[in-house]
Amino acid sequence: MEKANFRTQILTRHLQNHAAESSSGAAVSRAPCLSYAPPEASASFDVSSMRKLMDSHNLGERDWLFNLMVQSKLFNPKLRGGKVFVAPDYNQSMEQQREMTMKRIQYLLDRGVFEGWMTGKGSEAEMRKLALLEVITIFDHSLAIKIGVHFFLWGGAIQFFGTKRHHDKWLRATETYLMKGCFAMTELGHGSNVRGIETITTYDPRTEEFIINTPCESAQKYWIGGAANHATHTVVFSQLNIEDKNEGVHAFITQIRDADGNICPNIRITDCGHKIGLNGVDNGRIWFDNVRIPRENILNSVADVSSDGKYLSAIKDADQRFGAFMAPLTSGRVTIAVSAVYMAKMSLAIAIRYSLTRRAFSITPNGAEVLLLDYPSHQRRLLPLLAKTYAMSFAGNYLKLLYVRRTPQLIKTLHVVSSGLKAALTWHNMRTLQECREACGGQGLKTENRIGQLKAEYDVQSTFEGDNNVLMQQVSKALLAEYIATKRKNKPFKELGLEHMNKPSPTIPSQLSSSTVHSSQFQNDIFCLRERDLLNRFAAEVSKYLAQGESKESAFNASYQLAEDLGRAFTDLAILQTFVEAENSVTDASLKNVLSLVRSMYVLVTLDEDPAFLRYGYLTTGNAAIVRKEVANLCSEIRPHALALVDSFGIPDAFLSPIAFDWVAANAWSASQD
Amino acid sequence: MASTNGETDQVLVEERSCGRIFILNRPKQLNALSAVMVSRLLELFLSCAEDSSVKFIIVKGKGRAFCAGGDVAAVVYDINRGNWKSGAEYFRKEFTLNYVIATYIKPQVSILNGIVMGGGAGVSVHGRFRIATEKSLFAMPETALGLFPDIGASYFLSRLPGFFGEYVGLTGARLDGAEMLACGLATHFVQSESLPLLEEALVKAATSDPMVISSVIEGFSNAPNLKKNSAYHRLDVINKCFSRRTVEDIIQALERVSADKKDDWISSTIQSLKKASPMSLKISLRSIREGRLQGIGKCLVREFRMVCHVMLGEVSKDFVEGCRAILVDKDRNPKWAPSKLESISDKMVDRYFSKVDDADWEDLKLPVNFRLPAYAIAKL
Repeated sequence: MEKANFRTQILTRHLQNHAAESSSGAAVSRAPCLSYAPPEASASFDVSSMRKLMDSHNLGERDWLFNLMVQSKLFNPKLRGGKVFVAPDYNQSMEQQREMTMKRIQYLLDRGVFEGWMTGKGSEAEMRKLALLEVITIFDHSLAIKIGVHFFLWGGAIQFFGTKRHHDKWLRATETYLMKGCFAMTELGHGSNVRGIETITTYDPRTEEFIINTPCESAQKYWIGGAANHATHTVVFSQLNIEDKNEGVHAFITQIRDADGNICPNIRITDCGHKIGLNGVDNGRIWFDNVRIPRENILNSVADVSSDGKYLSAIKDADQRFGAFMAPLTSGRVTIAVSAVYMAKMSLAIAIRYSLTRRAFSITPNGAEVLLLDYPSHQRRLLPLLAKTYAMSFAGNYLKLLYVRRTPQLIKTLHVVSSGLKAALTWHNMRTLQECREACGGQGLKTENRIGQLKAEYDVQSTFEGDNNVLMQQVSKALLAEYIATKRKNKPFKELGLEHMNKPSPTIPSQLSSSTVHSSQFQNDIFCLRERDLLNRFAAEVSKYLAQGESKESAFNASYQLAEDLGRAFTDLAILQTFVEAENSVTDASLKNVLSLVRSMYVLVTLDEDPAFLRYGYLTTGNAAIVRKEVANLCSEIRPHALALVDSFGIPDAFLSPIAFDWVAANAWSASQD
Repeated sequence: MASTNGETDQVLVEERSCGRIFILNRPKQLNALSAVMVSRLLELFLSCAEDSSVKFIIVKGKGRAFCAGGDVAAVVYDINRGNWKSGAEYFRKEFTLNYVIATYIKPQVSILNGIVMGGGAGVSVHGRFRIATEKSLFAMPETALGLFPDIGASYFLSRLPGFFGEYVGLTGARLDGAEMLACGLATHFVQSESLPLLEEALVKAATSDPMVISSVIEGFSNAPNLKKNSAYHRLDVINKCFSRRTVEDIIQALERVSADKKDDWISSTIQSLKKASPMSLKISLRSIREGRLQGIGKCLVREFRMVCHVMLGEVSKDFVEGCRAILVDKDRNPKWAPSKLESISDKMVDRYFSKVDDADWEDLKLPVNFRLPAYAIAKL
């Protein structure tokens, strides 16, 4: 009742004000009911130093590319509330979006953005390429994917699966878009399980040609980015049958269109149609009707076929051959994971800026309405996601370095870490996008405010380049294999970050204090404890099933619940360790202070949200309550830094959206008349 | 440089009903902004903001210049006496003035009937209306002086069409009134003979409504023709070359174009880049590129850091050398150090953008009451 009265009072006041304005006529000042007040400046640390830590490399190149996009009409600049914003026009038809994507690629090509993307050597060139792709993805996912397919999938296949003859012919041509490449791996019937694909290739020694065939409808190539409209060449993944023996999956270069864009003979292509997002990418379906290609077109880094039709490979074991073959494809998981973090950054920058300027409800009858971010509940919704995004940003940087500096010894680590992080970071992004969309209320529903549209554009990330659930199972599987091998050899753990299992199990105080939960020692301990215990439990459960006579595969499948928990434990710990490493690299005290708050938030909110800590007793119910309270405390401690923390993301204003700035001006009547 | 007139009349103020006319009054120095003028202008702008009887402001210059720039000679004098901080205070005040003007809510009409350079652009281009005439001459000549386009130029140059801002900022190219209008540095073009009538009309309109003021000015405006050899006709080449990532790449791109076909404009463009301070070129390009992605406030804060580093001279002393060669000895033969673009590392450039390592030194703090909505900020 009291509430109802309060509400009535406020409404009456609004109505009275309104009446007063209209009756007094011309004398009324133009001051509207609500005017926009910019968020208070709050930088307790140097934002540009924080940006340097977050973006970590090639800042000049990044800014240059942002400049190129902002200055071109092709990137659809729109003046809103006195500021220019660039974003694709998602109201265009699928066909128009695809055409715009190609025009933008041509512009970036002419400006020299792709120079060195295929022909550049060394880790510096790779890091530059990754930085530029991140900037592109901030503008539009379709543009990034279209470019990614051409350079990372097609180009990567040539680079890694091919040999000199392929490099000489294709690398330069790819870099300058003399041709357009695509990557035909997924089929209607097989996606994550690449080894099950059904396309069949045989060899004809008389003409020295391979013959590629799609034997049935489930073998049609599906989702092939670039295939529906533009690609002239593809790398086809296919079973290779030589002298009636199946030699497993191999890759072949096949031309699918001529220079005028006509589809080649014995190739059928059709469109995958309109999608929930990424409509600027022309995904297509391909059938091969006994297509003949020259013998040189097999990408022969791992295996080859001699002119008289003999199968040749240095790696005898088919499993190993497949592993060696697929290893370089981790680049896709790396770029996906990192771009997911940038999208979380973008949505948080928008939602937090909005929550620092938008008010709702008064808490006293005549008081001013309260800023959204001054509600503790709103802080709890956004600030933990901000902390996780910081943590995952450091993890993304670590993953990039791991990828760029990969050695044969690190292939396993890279595979496991990239699988876990790809899943964790993309899931985190989707959750963050949804929360930020809701936190912006109705404004979140407008396409121009980006966040809602990003949900559709980035949903695909949990599926492509390996389904997230499958990837997480691979993490647990790899940990289990390491566990079994180490136990069998009776040697200490020395891989996959399991070294902590060589030490005695850490003990968690029965009564946590506020200072304990903020210490990185405790934070590391409890994450290690969870991983160690879950790995032990997982191994025990699998061996129980094995003892009951189950196969390895079905024992593993039956233990899926523990596998899930373990996968999460592994990635959370890996992320924390990259955070600590980044923190240690900082010398500036003001940066260190805020980072330690953010790190504590990352850990404590993870403790608060993952039921495994209570389920398996790593936290007592009493300690869980203390953790929860500490999360709320951290929210109010991080609140004053919120603006500076999102300003440090290095995403220029023009790539955010009108509600991140003066949303009153952006929505003024006069603005709608332009 | 001693001023020839008393300190108080370096800026004349005319009250014309609800308009105020500020006249920059150091004609012998082409109205170069002295510290006194900067303080006085700041004071005038702030008090007029509070004064509800003032509806709009006109700024113009006495004599053949609007304003030829900041008083760098005085700053260099300070640096040579080992007192860079006093020079820094000059810039602190000047940039604060630029910010106040950029975020000013009452319309400012700047009449650019003559030379507009450097600091002169800072007190006009950030305002709502900029009127060019057939006598206008605009340039940002800082790279030839060992400085960089400051006074918020990284904000407005970067917002010119395509990569014209990089061209103007790096080469110090001179623009006439027609070119200023074409690229957006000016909002209107009026023949100088019509200026007195325009002033009267503005005073008579007595309004702060920008739409009304705009239509008053339009009544006197005409559309000038770009001269045949205007750089603005070369926007294609400018976009192609000045969009390159580094100064070296820009010069290389220009040389490639000129190798294809001999072209006087390109040769002289390359010449001015080769004559400029290499360090100035490097920091200017980066400043414009960062400025394109930032608001006016952040641009001025960054430029203030940069200008302090320029005066500190820890990486390069080109500013002192440039002023010696151009303003003092007038031999026009500066000896830049580092002398080549290639000998400048990213780290050296980074230094200019970092916080000054001095416990007593403070970043530029912008006046809080001028943190106005974006629509009041972005006028270009």
